[in-house]
Amino acid sequence: MDLIVAFVTGLTTGGLGCLAVQSGLLASTLAYQVEQDVLAHSADASRKFKPHIARPIFLFLLAKLIAYTILGFLLGAAGSVLQLTPLMSAILYLAIGIFMLGNGLRMLNVHPVFRYFVIEPPSFLTRYIRRKSKDGTSLVTPLFMGTLTIFLPCGVTQAMMAAALGTSSPVQGAALMFAFILGTSPLFFSVSYFATRLSAIVEKHFTRIVAVTMLVLALVSVDSGLNLIGSPVSFSRTFNSVVVAVSDSVNGVQSGFVINVTDDGYRPIVLHLPADTPVSIEWVTEDTQTCARSVVVPGLDYREILPPTGRVRFDIPAQEKGTVINYTCSMGMYPSQLVFDLDL
Amino acid sequence: MVKKVFRVSDMSCPNCAMHLEGLEDELPGVKRINASYKKLTMEVEFDEALLSVEQIIEAANAIGYHPEPDAN
Repeated sequence: MDLIVAFVTGLTTGGLGCLAVQSGLLASTLAYQVEQDVLAHSADASRKFKPHIARPIFLFLLAKLIAYTILGFLLGAAGSVLQLTPLMSAILYLAIGIFMLGNGLRMLNVHPVFRYFVIEPPSFLTRYIRRKSKDGTSLVTPLFMGTLTIFLPCGVTQAMMAAALGTSSPVQGAALMFAFILGTSPLFFSVSYFATRLSAIVEKHFTRIVAVTMLVLALVSVDSGLNLIGSPVSFSRTFNSVVVAVSDSVNGVQSGFVINVTDDGYRPIVLHLPADTPVSIEWVTEDTQTCARSVVVPGLDYREILPPTGRVRFDIPAQEKGTVINYTCSMGMYPSQLVFDLDL
Repeated sequence: MVKKVFRVSDMSCPNCAMHLEGLEDELPGVKRINASYKKLTMEVEFDEALLSVEQIIEAANAIGYHPEPDAN
C-alpha cells in the first residue's frame, strides 16, 4: 500500500474509526490528567494555547507513533520470514477486505451478525489500562498510555497491521504504520485537546462516513487480492478494459515487446504478443518508485523486483493463441495483461 | 456478592462496552463489570448490601445507556 494512501487513510477513516475504540477510554482518561493540569494552572486559563493540556496529548501521540512504527517493523519482519507468496498475499488482501467489509456493514447496522467482525480487547487489559491512566499525573503516564494503544487497535488499524505484514519488509512495514498513525494524529489531538465531549459528537455524525469509506477501502483490498491471484475479473481490470478498448482504437496494436513501468503502472496496459513461440519482453523503469517495480505474474510463477531505473528481460515460453496472462504489482495494484494473439 | 446480567441494546460500538466497564471504578460495591458489544450484554458482580440494580441502571443511564435486567 502506498504511504500516501496509508497517511490519508489514517487522516480520514483511521482517525475517525480509531476514535471509536481509543478515544472514549484513552482520551477521556487523558482528559482526567488534563483536568488536573488545568486545575493546577488555573492562572493560565485565559491563554488561548494551553501547553499544559497539549503536552500530555502530544507525548501520548508520540509514544503511540513510536510503538506502532516498531510494531510495523516487527510485522514486516515477520512477513519477510514467512516469505509471502503472491497467493498468500492475495489471501491476506482478501481477508483484510472481508474484515473491513464486515466492519463497514456493522457500522451501518446492516445486521447484528456483523458485530462479530469486531476484535474486542480482553476486559482485563482495558481494565488495567483504564486504572493505570488514573494513577498520578506525571508525563510518564501519557507516554505509557500511548504505548499501550497497540493493544487496542481499531478495525482499520488491524487491517493496516495486516497490510504491514503483507509488505514482507521491516522498513516498509514500519513506514506504513508510521504514515498511518501519523495520519490519525491530527484528529486525535484535536478531539483530546478540545475536550473529549467532541468525540461523542464526531462518532455520532461521522460513523456513516467512516463506514462508507471503509467499504470503499474493503473493495480496494478485495480488488488487490483478486488481481494478485490473476483473476480475470476484478474492479480495476474491468475499468482498465474500458480504457484500453478506447486507446486501442486510437493507437492500434502495440508493436514493441517493451513494457514501461511507470509510477502509475504498466504501459501498455495490454501488450499483444506473438502466439506459439517463445518471446522476450523488457521491463523498462525510469526513476520508478511505486510498487509497480515489484512485478508479479501469477500464471507464470514469476516475481521480480525491478531496479528504480533500468531494463530487465523476461523470457516467456510459447503460449497458445488466445492465451491471456494477467499480471500486477505485488500489492495487487495496476492490473495489466499479456495477450498472445499475434501471428508470426 | 451477586452477578446480574443486563441487556444493553443501545451499545453501538466496542467503545460502549469499555464505557460501561468504567462504571466499576465509579460505583461502590461493584467488584467487576464485563460488557460485551457482540452480545449486547453487561454482567455486573456486586455487593447487594451496598448497591441495588436500580442504582446500576441509573449510573448507566447517566452515561447514555439503558440496560435492562436480562430475563434469562
